[in-house]
Amino acid sequence: MKLLNIDYEKFKLKNGLEVILHHDSSLPLVAVNIWYRVGSSNEKKGKTGIAHLFEHMMFQGSANVPKEVHFRYIQEAGGTLNGSTSFDRTNYFEKVPSNFLDLALWLESDRMGFLLPALTQEKLANQIGVVSNERLERYDNQPYGLAWEITISNLYPNGHPYSWPTIGSMNDIKSYTLEDVSGFFKKYYSPSNAVLVIAGNFEKDIIKDKVSKYFEDIPSTNGTNNNFDPGSSSSNVKLDKDIFIERNENVQLERVYFAWHTEKAYGPLDNSLDVLSDILAGSKSSRLTKHLVYDTEMAQDISAFQFSGKYDGHFMLIATAKPGIPLNKLKAEIFKELENIARNGIAQKELTKSKNMIKFSFINSMQNFDVIADHLNHYNFYLNEPNSFNYDLKRYEEVNNESIIKSVSKYLTNHHVELQIKPIDKKQNV
Amino acid sequence: MSEILDRSKKPGPRGDIKFNLPQIERFNLKNKLNVLFVHKDNLPFLRFNLISESGSKFDPKEKKGLANLFSMVLDEGAGKYNSIELSEEFEILGSRLNVSCFNDNIHLSLQTLTENLDRSLELLATVILQPHLDEKSFEKERRKILTTIKQLQDSPEDIADIAFDRIVFGEENAYAFPIIGYTENVENISINDIKYIYKNNFSPANSTLIVVGNSTKQQLEEKLNIYLSDWKSANNNNEFSLTSGGENLSIYLIHKEGSVQSEIRIGHLSGKRNDKEFFAKHLLNLILGGQFSSRINLNLREDKGYTYGATSRFNYLKGASHFFVSCSVGSENTGNAINEILKELTEIKNGITDTELEFARSSIIRRYPGNFETHGQITANLASLVLHSLPDNYFNTYIDNIRKLKIEDINTAAFDNIHPDRLSILVVGDKNLVLPQLRGLNIAEIIQPDMWGKI
Repeated sequence: MKLLNIDYEKFKLKNGLEVILHHDSSLPLVAVNIWYRVGSSNEKKGKTGIAHLFEHMMFQGSANVPKEVHFRYIQEAGGTLNGSTSFDRTNYFEKVPSNFLDLALWLESDRMGFLLPALTQEKLANQIGVVSNERLERYDNQPYGLAWEITISNLYPNGHPYSWPTIGSMNDIKSYTLEDVSGFFKKYYSPSNAVLVIAGNFEKDIIKDKVSKYFEDIPSTNGTNNNFDPGSSSSNVKLDKDIFIERNENVQLERVYFAWHTEKAYGPLDNSLDVLSDILAGSKSSRLTKHLVYDTEMAQDISAFQFSGKYDGHFMLIATAKPGIPLNKLKAEIFKELENIARNGIAQKELTKSKNMIKFSFINSMQNFDVIADHLNHYNFYLNEPNSFNYDLKRYEEVNNESIIKSVSKYLTNHHVELQIKPIDKKQNV
Repeated sequence: MSEILDRSKKPGPRGDIKFNLPQIERFNLKNKLNVLFVHKDNLPFLRFNLISESGSKFDPKEKKGLANLFSMVLDEGAGKYNSIELSEEFEILGSRLNVSCFNDNIHLSLQTLTENLDRSLELLATVILQPHLDEKSFEKERRKILTTIKQLQDSPEDIADIAFDRIVFGEENAYAFPIIGYTENVENISINDIKYIYKNNFSPANSTLIVVGNSTKQQLEEKLNIYLSDWKSANNNNEFSLTSGGENLSIYLIHKEGSVQSEIRIGHLSGKRNDKEFFAKHLLNLILGGQFSSRINLNLREDKGYTYGATSRFNYLKGASHFFVSCSVGSENTGNAINEILKELTEIKNGITDTELEFARSSIIRRYPGNFETHGQITANLASLVLHSLPDNYFNTYIDNIRKLKIEDINTAAFDNIHPDRLSILVVGDKNLVLPQLRGLNIAEIIQPDMWGKI
């Protein structure tokens, strides 16, 4: 699709910073998006959550930017901004009116090069408080909020970089010192470990000088990026038996989580597993939703997804039982359907529906410069080619009955993790 | 060679930017249905949003949850399609129809590729004109809602939002109730109630269709008349109560066993959307708690580390509005956080600074073009135009309205609209940890309603 063919120019500065430019003058806006090749998968067990805590510290000011003003300057310019941390990477992004591009580049370059002089114990203590509350608000105090953490810590082997959640454990979060934070910066925040994308309305003739002006004098540190070595192939990570976990929580309905090892991002069946999740539980007419939520009303809701990262991936299926319906009954129905697909495949119509939804979502993602910028960085990171929108769409168009059958029989018949969360038995508690 | 950079200097803007606001075109279909259209042709799709003023504010006293249940049943089968087939027909187009119920309105929204425009309109019209509204689907949806209501008590945010509406708007107000309804009320609703709503409330006379995308007024007028002009107007049931809630400083605590955080809501009723102080209130809120760099967040998050984020807002419904601060804090800091919020609400009445005014004004004005970037944003802006009956030139005059505000206007708005002596303070948290802290505040007796805010 012509629409998805995104022109870009890619080059490297002397300090190793990779730069990707995409020009589009249809709106007076410009997006700046930086990916640092570091995420929670670079952490070690017992020292988790620092990649994310560090992301917070990047908003606490740098040598020439006082605390609290990073947000203020961008908002004053009419821009939006944020950052996020995942297993594989940390990103920082701003979208500003195009005449404020310099401001965004100045702020990003100051913290890339000159964060440490502004680091204080007071700021660290403050952000440890904020991040502890983020953990409480988003996980500990949410119904079923610990399910992801429990699932991955049982699914991935001890020490595997995806076996702990990006937010980190509360004890680890509270343990960090200034030394930890500055060590992390020196190790991972070198310009040679980052990629800068600028997408949108900028002055073509001076953009490269502008990038050099702000970024070229930032020294590259010698920190090595000692990423996890997945060994021969991460897809070899396998469970040798089913793992069953049962928990009682302060919830009303019983819910079950199933997780299977699958494969990493852009692996041969990653696309089919995505489409499979849609065919199973992506819409009202999808197989499990229709059968369990609509026809029999055994479940209140059901969802499925393929998670895939740089090192590994897994498939998850989550179902909430209607009051009075035992989870094992839901389980039996779910496994019956998986078996059915492995044996009989799926209908052409099911594929068409999913593919059309996916195609629309690609077109939809072309609406914002900030989304395009983040995608360019995403494709550059995983595929080493920023302009991979059409490649990615084609990957989904190529999914067929055989590859769906294969993705079920190769992965979803293997050993899995099953987590059951049930209400606390009030009688026991009295 | 790059020039030498003085990093200590913050770079300013390079020149000005040019920006044209989208043009709004209006027309009526043969059945008088109002259409608002914005042409946008950068991508090959259109977004539709039908807004019908038949939201939950019309729910009768013993049938809270009726409008929402109607919105759930509406797309469960229409014309020759049953519920699943209808959903499949949309999915085959790569599209999905969303029906949602709000306090004032019900929204039917749909995105379609331009190549599928006719088929999408045909399906949309089928849902509007020939919904099955059959008993079996009704019972199914009702069972689903009853289970959802049960699940609400798991979520401290939902409990806080629902109870706070009831506390602030006061028992008899049409906005005091959860859109989803109460269990005993939903059990009370019959399929005939649903059919009554369809016949009497859901009508072109109280609806507006918003369209954004790559079409023309002429083409749309023609196509929409083909598919939608048979939709006929009916009697409109326009009665709802807008009596007011409590006006005294009061503290409410809803016990949630085992909570490690407290959900806090603090606020009171406020003036309506068409109030002439609207723009001043908007600026005021941006300084007080409307964004990351506002006073309340900088204090509670960036200074004290009590919370992941704290915000304030004026929330405008068609017939009423309220002002409130919300945040979620570690249980041990509940009392401290409330104290800091009360301090900020008192302090703002002492006036703002020139720097704060410039910051807020600049942020709003420069941000403005970015509010019209996507089909979704434009649709949402038009929806607020419809909800509050604002003039078509509203967007064109917006920046001038912000620009001409003086510091006195903001200070007057704070004086008129922030009332620390009338606040309702609600906490959802673990009583054992929180109650002593609330008593320690020593500002009011502590009332303990149930999870719905009923006293």
